[in-house]
This record gives sequence, structure tokens and C-alpha cells, in this order.
Amino acid sequence: MIQSDLSIILPEIILAVYAMAALMAAVYTSKDAMAPLLTWVTGGLMVALAGWIATNGEGTNIAFNGMFIDDGFARFAKVAILLAAASVLVMSQDYMTRRGMLAFEFPLLVALSVVGMMMMVSAGDLMSLYMGLELQSLALYVIAAMRRDSVKSTEAGLKYFVLGALSSGLLLYGASLVYGYSGTTLFSGIILTAQHGEVSLGLLFGLVFLISGMAFKVSAVPFHMWTPDVYEGAPTPVTAFFATAPKVAAMGLFARVLYDAFGLAVADWSQVIALLSVASMFLGAVAAIGQRDIKRMMAYSSIAHMGFALMGLAAGTVFGVQAMLIYMAIYVTMNVGAFAFILMMEKDGVPVTDIRSLNQYAKRAPGRALAMLILLFSLAGVPPMLGFFGKFYVLRAAYEGGLAWLAVAGVIASVIGAFYYLRIVYYMYFGDEGEGLDKSGSPVLWGFLMASAAVMLLGIINMFGVEGAAAAAAAALVN
Amino acid sequence: MSLFLIASLPFLGAIFPALLIRAGRNASAASAGMVTLTALIGLLTNAPAVLRGEVVVARIDWMPGLGLNANFFLDGLGLLFAGLILGIGLLIILYARFYLSRKDPMGQFYTYLLLFQGAMVGIVLSDNILLLLIFWELTSLSSFLLIGFWKHLPEGRQGARMALLVTGSGGLAMIGGMLIIGNIVGSYDLTVILQHKELIQASPLYLPALLLILAGCFTKSAQFPFHFWLPHAMAAPTPVSAYLHSATMVKAGLFLMARMWPVLAGTDAWFYIVATTGLVTMVLGAVIALFKDDLKALLAYSTVSQLGLITMLLGFGTKAAATAAVFHIINHATFKCALFMSAGIIDHSAHTRDIKRLGGLIHLMPLTFTIVLVAALSMAGIPPFNGFLSKEMMLEETLSAVWQGSPYLVAALAVFGALFSVAYSFRYIGHVFLGKRRSDYPGEPHDPGPGLWLAPVFLTFLVVVIGLFPNAVVGPLVQVASGAVIGDGQPVVFYAKLWHGFIPALYMSVVAVVGGFVLLLMQRRLAPLWDAAPRPEAKVIFDALVGGFTSLSRRLSEALHDGALSRYAAIFMVFTLALAAYAYGTGAKGAPNREMLDLTIMPVIGWICLTGATVCVVAFHRNRFLALVLIGVVGLIIALAFNYLSAPDLALTQISVEVVTIILLLLALNFMPKNTPQESSTGRKLRDATLSIGAGLGAGGLIYALMGREFSQPSISEFHLENSYSGGGGTNVVNVILVDFRGFDTFGEIIVLGIAAIVIFAITEAVLASNVRGRLLNREPDMAQAGNPHPLMMVVATRVMMPIALMVAAYIFFRGHNAPGGGFIAGLIAAIAVVMQYMASGYEWAADRQRVYYHGIIGSGVLIAALTGMGSWFAGLPFLTSSFGYITIWPLEKFEWATAALFDLGVFLAVLGAVMLALESLARFAWQPGMDSEHPMEINPARDDADNHEKQEA
Repeated sequence: MIQSDLSIILPEIILAVYAMAALMAAVYTSKDAMAPLLTWVTGGLMVALAGWIATNGEGTNIAFNGMFIDDGFARFAKVAILLAAASVLVMSQDYMTRRGMLAFEFPLLVALSVVGMMMMVSAGDLMSLYMGLELQSLALYVIAAMRRDSVKSTEAGLKYFVLGALSSGLLLYGASLVYGYSGTTLFSGIILTAQHGEVSLGLLFGLVFLISGMAFKVSAVPFHMWTPDVYEGAPTPVTAFFATAPKVAAMGLFARVLYDAFGLAVADWSQVIALLSVASMFLGAVAAIGQRDIKRMMAYSSIAHMGFALMGLAAGTVFGVQAMLIYMAIYVTMNVGAFAFILMMEKDGVPVTDIRSLNQYAKRAPGRALAMLILLFSLAGVPPMLGFFGKFYVLRAAYEGGLAWLAVAGVIASVIGAFYYLRIVYYMYFGDEGEGLDKSGSPVLWGFLMASAAVMLLGIINMFGVEGAAAAAAAALVN
Repeated sequence: MSLFLIASLPFLGAIFPALLIRAGRNASAASAGMVTLTALIGLLTNAPAVLRGEVVVARIDWMPGLGLNANFFLDGLGLLFAGLILGIGLLIILYARFYLSRKDPMGQFYTYLLLFQGAMVGIVLSDNILLLLIFWELTSLSSFLLIGFWKHLPEGRQGARMALLVTGSGGLAMIGGMLIIGNIVGSYDLTVILQHKELIQASPLYLPALLLILAGCFTKSAQFPFHFWLPHAMAAPTPVSAYLHSATMVKAGLFLMARMWPVLAGTDAWFYIVATTGLVTMVLGAVIALFKDDLKALLAYSTVSQLGLITMLLGFGTKAAATAAVFHIINHATFKCALFMSAGIIDHSAHTRDIKRLGGLIHLMPLTFTIVLVAALSMAGIPPFNGFLSKEMMLEETLSAVWQGSPYLVAALAVFGALFSVAYSFRYIGHVFLGKRRSDYPGEPHDPGPGLWLAPVFLTFLVVVIGLFPNAVVGPLVQVASGAVIGDGQPVVFYAKLWHGFIPALYMSVVAVVGGFVLLLMQRRLAPLWDAAPRPEAKVIFDALVGGFTSLSRRLSEALHDGALSRYAAIFMVFTLALAAYAYGTGAKGAPNREMLDLTIMPVIGWICLTGATVCVVAFHRNRFLALVLIGVVGLIIALAFNYLSAPDLALTQISVEVVTIILLLLALNFMPKNTPQESSTGRKLRDATLSIGAGLGAGGLIYALMGREFSQPSISEFHLENSYSGGGGTNVVNVILVDFRGFDTFGEIIVLGIAAIVIFAITEAVLASNVRGRLLNREPDMAQAGNPHPLMMVVATRVMMPIALMVAAYIFFRGHNAPGGGFIAGLIAAIAVVMQYMASGYEWAADRQRVYYHGIIGSGVLIAALTGMGSWFAGLPFLTSSFGYITIWPLEKFEWATAALFDLGVFLAVLGAVMLALESLARFAWQPGMDSEHPMEINPARDDADNHEKQEA
């Protein structure tokens, strides 16, 4: 029994044991000198695990009496999480080493938070949900405040921590109510109690508190307040990490809870999710317009994107989950590319994040400008870039799920959102003459930027098969 | 040729010009031309079938899950547009070869041009609205690249941005409309959609879909109020303007309206939105065009006007109007493209496009004059050119249009617009070519070489031929194309002729021509008036809108994200409360079905104390010590409440935890200012108070609501009460839960407790090693120090109390399994006993007498607990399975002994060690070895430690 349980959870165990062992090894040996190597090894291990999970898993495997679920949905999310985290790690190595910021804890904290994320998307029980969530969050709190010598970074980290604790508390309160009124912490048990029409008051309170706790993790409006500060305050590689893997994990967890535990009471949460979605889309789109700092802008952009992903969730259908997964996969790929570009933005070796510094960038680096242009168009959801397909999927899901108003609102929000993405394009191609950025950056970053842009273009051929995988994953979740 | 090949040829071929530019500009241009020509020939091979009325199709499933299929179809409308795009594309390629200068990167230009061409062909051949959307936005993208090609022109930047923003946003809006249409019909294939007119028009979502789609069409085709971007985009080079902004891209909107005509047209909404917009655009564009001095601006506004004309015709929703629209699309493409090209020729040789600086060019550029004369007369609607034919048809149609009950309104406005279009057409001829030859041209005007004139001459040739033999030249094409627009399967009769007799349209034409001529004569006098007249300047409005929106957004984000954590938390709480209210409103409640407890005096007193203390904490929280005391009161009342509700165990635990934490906090407060600073304004306090009261009432109300009803699940305490003795061998349920049922949790907890204490220790070490400590020791205490830090009474009392307290701890420990008590409480009591020694006699005194380090106590506690747990493995049972039995040890009586007690010992030690380590660590902030003291046993944090510090450093 225990052997089979352990074999199901083996990828998580490997990563967790690796992280702990590497932490100890690094502490007692060369410490930060090992950091670059450790970063690459961690990235490599994650890629290997992703490959393993993608090729090996089959069907639905349940471990620890249902507390841990390894199904198509979990595997899809895990592969996305692992690949995103590995990409960000590899991208950040050179950037952080050159600025003396690369502590050996960084890759290991990332690894530990990834373990938490993997737990989150596999959670089949309120307990394992919370364990995964907190493992992830605690690592993220530390990562957010990693630059202790920067006031901004520390402040952002502290805010994130305080609000995060508040949301965790709320989530726990919700979980205890759910337990109290369903008599079990297992999702498979809760779903039997939570059927539409017979959702008791306590259960419903539990549900909305769970939702608000998880909305914090996906930074959906109005629980998004930490996002701009953390994105701006943290070092850019950290921001890149925040914008990618944790979002997938939180979204995955969101879907897990809503469908596995409350899948029979769609009407009770659909409206709440739709509200979060529409608020996120609009606030993200509108507030991003006024930003001058590209990282802060990306924060609002990610809020808006989460709104779109939530739209798929709000639909309450298999297609909706599929749309959400595809959206997240595309979103992560786009963001990796966009952050590769942002990591390359520097002048005289100092990182620059002012949008206006991109003036006439196309003249100095036409290739990169073109790649970024493709990414920005994709982020805006302009056909034929892959981003359009993601948007179209969720819009369609919302529409078919009976939320036509949400779909129309989404279209309007995406029109508003296009403005600020295109503004960057405008600066790059038509900005005023003047002092501009250097043409610097490591080949690794360049490679990620180009690869991500290429994916946005070539992905339209068949989305690299993500469509089918997402459909299978969604079917595994919703049944 | 397969439609796939036709659609993909420009994309595939786009690479050649970029590569072949190394072989010279001719090779580059030739390759672009060959690609276009091949596609055109491919298209023409399909023409006979289409003209016979067949529809050529090619389909592949692409992403069926999304509804996206790579389906193409070619009907009359597609043939017309594809022919225009490829045919004019060919002419533009020729023209651009000679127009672009040596400095311009021509290979790049042709590449972008072919990409654009491919996108346009894709739009008109798509049989899938998603595919169409893709190509639609591709035209925005490639046109952006083409316009951006001339980025050294500063005025071009603004234009490119505006164009991209307006058309791009329109396209995004269209996605929404297409989504709705596709869902109403259940398919995204155009051929399917076009057969469901009733279904779509009956849908309640017809109007939103229509509005969204029209938003895309109107922005693309520069219809009012989105017309402003087109003239500003004219900063692009002339070949681009001619191709994108007159012949093809701006017609994409018209194409889509024509394409969707069978399902969208015919309703009142369609008529009033489309026809009115078209009419307004037509009149407005024509009026503005007359007063523009820039030749290209004049042509740009005339394009706006002509597009409005076609839009209006489509908006009428009648078959004849649709046919006229199709016919005018052809005619407009021919004469307008020729006019743009001639404007480029003039610009090229005269180095200016300003009409005021031109005039008399007829003497210098006779060939160009001929081209312009024919094309402009056609635009003015003068027979025998093709423009006359379609304009006549248009005027005829306006007569039958009734707008809100006024039968002649549309016709009158149309004549008004036509009048202006005659005037600006004549102006092009008159003010540029006629008049006296001037001596101050910026350049040297001359007729160009054949490379530049071939294309416009060919187009003017078409103008004349279509004008003279409309039915023979374009008749079949117009018939199949308008057949496709109307889409009812009936054959369309198209018969155009120059002379219809004295029909009303003729009179209207005459009025327009004469009026236009008179207007032109007055133009020079009217122009100052026009310039002086106040009117909304689109660019200014656009800038103001963008600027206003940006500042609005900035204000919003600054208001929301002012960086204050309290504001974030406030928003968080407000929304949580709202969510809770939602849950309360929708959840199934049921009536309260539990009886209330009797209200006796004890709970009331307790409640008053509790609430009073809480209110006092809020009121006096600036005074830290007072707040601590009040918090202590709260804790005490809670302990009493536990006791009152028959939970002596919890009460004991609560009270001992209370004492330990108060001591811990007291130690910490020792190093902090007495008062916290005043930071909040009254408004913020009010906000926070409202929120807190709201949250408190919400939580209280929730608990009240939940407690008033029977739980849906049986209470878990029943289980524990039943199984406590039989399973765990104890009657104290709380203790049995701690050491048995939830033994694993407890095991984890004591480890965490130990880690926490060790972390406090580690941090203390780090702080002591830094210069923080010096500051701590040197600070000015803000409270008077007690005269005698170690009062004799207290010292004596604590020393006497110590053995008694330890005895009590042992007693509590042993009775724990069956009566209130247990390792946890015992640990706390023992800790209190030891702490009292530190407090009374001083750190050094206590430390001297300490034989075992607290680290070791923690470690041994955890180890004992772990070993106890593992012991059950030897019995073949899972970790931490407890067992109990009765044993007799002489001289004691027989008594019950459970392995859980051993585990409890571990808990006891871990708790004792952890609490002591934490307290000791905090105490060490103020103490260091060898510190002098006035009395042998004292803690005096006020001591000036600077000397010692220096000594140490030395």
C-alpha cells in the first residue's frame, strides 16, 4: 500500500529530497559559489521530471486514501509548472550572478515552492491542499523579499507575507467550515454533500472563504493588491517566476477545489468567479495603461490575464477547464519570453524598467524588437498569434457556459488591454530619438525570447498538441 | 489552382524579395511580381467556374476543438476582391520599383507588401470566420510594418499608432461579434452561417453581435466616427497609400459587410446603423476633402467619402443597392488608385503635394494631366467614365430610401455629398494642372518614365473601358459578385448604360455637377471661413481621449495602490464581507432548531469583562503595557469560560499558556518604547472601525447562525468520548487526543516548538554578535526603573516555591491521562517555576545554577517521543500505537500505565525546553558574561554598556 502511494508521489519526493539535500550540501561546502551550478542542475532536474511526468503517467492514480490525486489534469499542470520554473531559473542565472544576487538558496527555494505547487494541483483533500499551498507560499514569501538590501523588495515581501497570512487564515477558516458541514476533508466526500440546491449555509461560507483565499494566490481583483508592489519591488528574475509557475499552480488548485469538491454546485460559485474574472480583466487592463514601469505593467497584465483564465473556470464546463488550461499554458510561454526581454533591458550594465527607455529599440536590435512585438501582440490577443487562441477559447467557454455578458465584457477588456501592449510596440518602433538601451543580454535570454516568439507564431499550426492534452486533462478533472 | 496555394503563395513568396535584394532591385521587384502574377493566374484558372455560378471550395480541419478550420471558398465576391487585390498588387509592385529611392530597403518593403497581400487574399477567401479574423488582424500587423517602414517621418509615427490602435481594437471587438454569430449558428464556417439568416436575426444577441462586427468593419473602413485615422496614415509612402488606404485594406470592412450581408442586412438596425453611418461619412468626408490643401489628404478624405458611399449602399439592404455597391467598389478601385499614383508622381517630381504651391502643371506634365483628368472626372461622376455609372445607380437608390419617415432626406444629403465630391475632383484638376505655369515649384515637375506611368495609365484605360462597355467588361463579374452578396440564389440582373433617359438620378447628377463647379469657383473664398470655423479636430480628440484615459488609469491605480498595507487589507476585508453577505443570502439556512442556554449571572459577568477588556485594548492600545495587561484579562476570562463550560483541561492549558506568553511579551516589551506612535487620521480610524465592527458582527452572526442549528454531521466529540478509555486507556479525552488519537500531530508540534525555540536562540545569537545590542543597552528607558530589581520577598518566595511548583508539575503530569493535566501543561508549569527564578534572582544567578542546557532538554523530549512511537514497531504495530495495562510496583498499589505516558514525557520535556530556551534567549539581550551589577542578581537593561563593549572589541 505505502509503496504504491510513494511511487505515485515519487516526482514530488525526488524534488523535495533533492532540494533539502542540496541545501545542506551547499551550506556546508562552497555556499554561493555553487549557486550557478545549482541553478542549472535544479533547472535540469525539473525538465527531466517534467519529461518523466509527461511520458509516464497514465490514468488516474490515487495515493494516501485520496489525499493525493495524480490524474491527467495534475500532470498537465505539473508539466507546465516544472517547465516554467526551469525556464525562469535558467534565465535568471546569468542576470543574478552578474549582479551578485544569486544566493544558493534561490534555486532551492524555487524547487521547494515547486514541490508545493505540485502538491497543490494534485490535492484531493483540504489538508493536502493547505500543505501544498503553504509550502509554496512560504518559499515565495522568502523569494519575494530576497534582496534584503533593497527597501522596496523587503517592503513588498512583507506586504505579501502579511496579506498572504490573512488570506491563508481565511482559507483555513473556510476549510474548517467545509469540514464541519460535510464531515470530511476529502474532496470526493465533500462533493457528495455539496450538491446544488442543498448547499448548507456553513458549506457555502466555507466555499466563499476558500475562494477568496485562492483568489489571493491567483491575484484576482480585489485580492490582487500585493501583485504590483511585489512585481516591481522584487528582482526581475523573481518577478518572472511569480508571473509564471505559481499562477499555473494556483489556477490548477482553484479548478481542483471548484470541480472536485464543489463540481455539483456550479451555480453557487460560478457567479462569484465571474465577478472576480470581470473585475480582474478590467482593473488589470485599465490600470496597466498608466504604468511607466514595465514590471509594474506586467503585474497588471498578469492580473488581467488571470481574469481571462478565471473566465474559463467560471463557465463550469469541461470545455471551460480545457480553455483555462490552454490559456495558462499559452500565458506562461508568453510571459517567459516577455521576461526574457525585460531581463535583457539594461543600460551600462544597470537594469532599466522604464517603458520609455525602449524608444527606437527596433533600430538598434531589430530581431529582438520583432520578437517582442510578436509577444506583445500575442499578449494583447491579436490574431494570428497564439494568444488569440487562448482568449478565444475562454471567451467561447464563457459564452457556451451561459455567461454571454462575461464574454462580451472580456472582449471589451481585451480591447482596452490592447492599448498598453501596443504602446510598447509604439515606443519600440516609433519612439522619440534619444538615449536608448544597450544591446546586451546573454545568449540564453536571447534564445528564450526567440523561442517563445517562435512558439507564438508556429503554435498556430497545431498548438504543439496542447489542445488534446488539455482536453484530456479537463475531462479527467470534470466528471 | 488550389485555393490553399493561392492563399499561401504570397506568404511563401514573401521570402524571395528579401533574399533577392542582394541580386539587385530589379530582381527583388521581379520576384515579388512573379509571386503575385502566379497567384493571380491561379485565381483566374478558377474564374470560369465561379462565373458559371459555382463555388470553389478547399477545406482542411485545423483545430476542430476550437471550431477553427482552414476552409477556403471562392465565390463571386471573393473572386472580385481577390482579383482586385492581386491585380492592383501587381501594378503597385511595378510602380513601387520606380517610386522607391535607392536608399530605401526595397527587399524588406516587398516582403511586407507580399505579407499584406497574402493576408488580404486570406480574408476574402476564408470560409471560416476564425480564419477570417486571423487574416483580418494580420493585415493590421503587416500594414503596421509597412507604415513603420517610413519611420524617419515624424508625422508618420502618430499616424501609424493611431491606425494600429483603431483598426486593431476594432478587430478585437469583432472577435466578440463573430463568437456570438458562430454560437448562434453552431458553426464557424461562413457557408453554413450564411444560410441561417432567420436564426441569427431572431436571436436576442443579434444586436450586440451586429454592433461588435460593425465596430470592426467601420474602424477598418474608416467610417464615421473612426474616419480620422485614415488621413493621418497617409504619411506612408504613396505605393502603400494607394494599395492599403484606397484599394484594399480599407475595403476589407466593406468586404465583410458585403460578406455578412445575407444574414445581417435587411433589419431596421442594419439600415439605421449602416446606411446612416455611410451617409454621414460620405458627406463629411467630401466636405473636408474640398478644403484640404495636401493632395494626399484630399484623396484620403475623398476615399473616406467614397467608402461611406459604398457603406450606405450596403446599408440600404436592397438588392439593387447591393449591386450598385459592388459595381462602385470596382470603379473606385480603378480611379482612386490611379489618382493616388498620379499624386505620387507629382510629389516625386515637384517635391511637394501642397495644392497651393502647385498649378499650371498641364504644361509640364501632359501625360500625368491626362491620367488625372480621366480618373478625376470619373470620380466626379462625369460620363462616359465608370464613376458616372455607379454614381447614377447610387443616386437612384437614395430616392427609394426612407429615413425615419422622411423620404427625400437621404437623397438630398447624397446630392449634397456628390456636389462636394464633384468640387474636390475638379479641384484636383483645376488647382493642380490648370492655371498659369509657376516659377517657384520646389522641384522640377516633369512626366515620369514608363515605370511610373504604366500602372496608372492601365487603370485609367480600365476607367474608360468600363465606362463605355460596362456590361461586356465587368458585367458577369458584377453579376456573380452581387449574387454572392445577396445570397438568395436568384440570378442578379446587372445592366448598366450611360443613357437612361431623363430620370430623376440624371437631374440629381446635373445638380451635383453644376453645384460642384460653382462651389469650386467659391472654394478659395470659402477656405478661410472653413479654417476659421470651429470644428472638432479628430486628432486632438483622439489625443485628449488617450491622454485622459491614461491619466484616469493612473489616478485609479494610484488610488488603489498607494502602497499602504492598511488600504490593501481594507479592500480585502470589504470584499470578503461582501462575499460572506452573498453566501448568507444564497445559502440554505433553515430555521434555528437548537434551544438557547439559560442566561445566568456568571456568563453575563464574564461576557461584560471580556467585551470591556477588548474595548479597552482597542482604546488604550498605544500604551503597550496596559494593552498587555488587558490582553491578559481576556485570556483569563477565556480560561474561566472553558472552566464554566466543563473543560478544565482547556482551562488549565489556556491559563498556563497565558502566563508563559505574558512573561515572554513582558521580556520583549522591555526593549520597546512604552507607547506606539499615533499614525492614523480620524478618517482612517473611522474606516478601520467600521470594517472591524462589520467583520466582527459578521463573524459573530455567522457563529450565532451556525450554533443555533443542529449540525448536519454528528459531533466529533461523541467519537472521542466513546473511544477514549477503550482505545487510549484514559478518561481525560483532551490528553488522550493529544498523546494518542492525534499523537502524530503532537509529535510534529513538539518538533516545531523545538525548532521555533532554536530559531529564536539563533536569531538572538546573531543579534548579540551585531551592533544592535549596543544600541539596545544604551537606549534611554522611558519608564522609571524599580529601585530594587530583586526584592528580597520575591527572591525568597520563588526559591521556596520552586520545589512545590515542580511537585505540582509532576502531579499534573501523572494525573494527566485520566484527569485534567498532562505533559503539555506540566511542561508549562515547570517552565513557570524556572522562569520565576530568572525573574526574581537575575539571569546570572540562574544561569550559574543551570546544569542542563535547554537544547538538550528539547532534543531528549523529541527523542523520547520518537522512541516511544517506534516502540510499537517491535510489537508489529504502526508508529505511535499506544497500549496500556495495569502494573504493580512495590510498594505502590496496582496502577494503570499507558505507553502514552512515556510519549507525554517527551512532550513535557520538549515544552519545558522550548519555552525556557525562548525566554532565556530574549533575556540575554540585556545580559552578558562578566557584567557588573549593583546587586549580585539583577537584570538592568538601562546599564550603559559602552565601556564593556569597547573592552570586548579590543
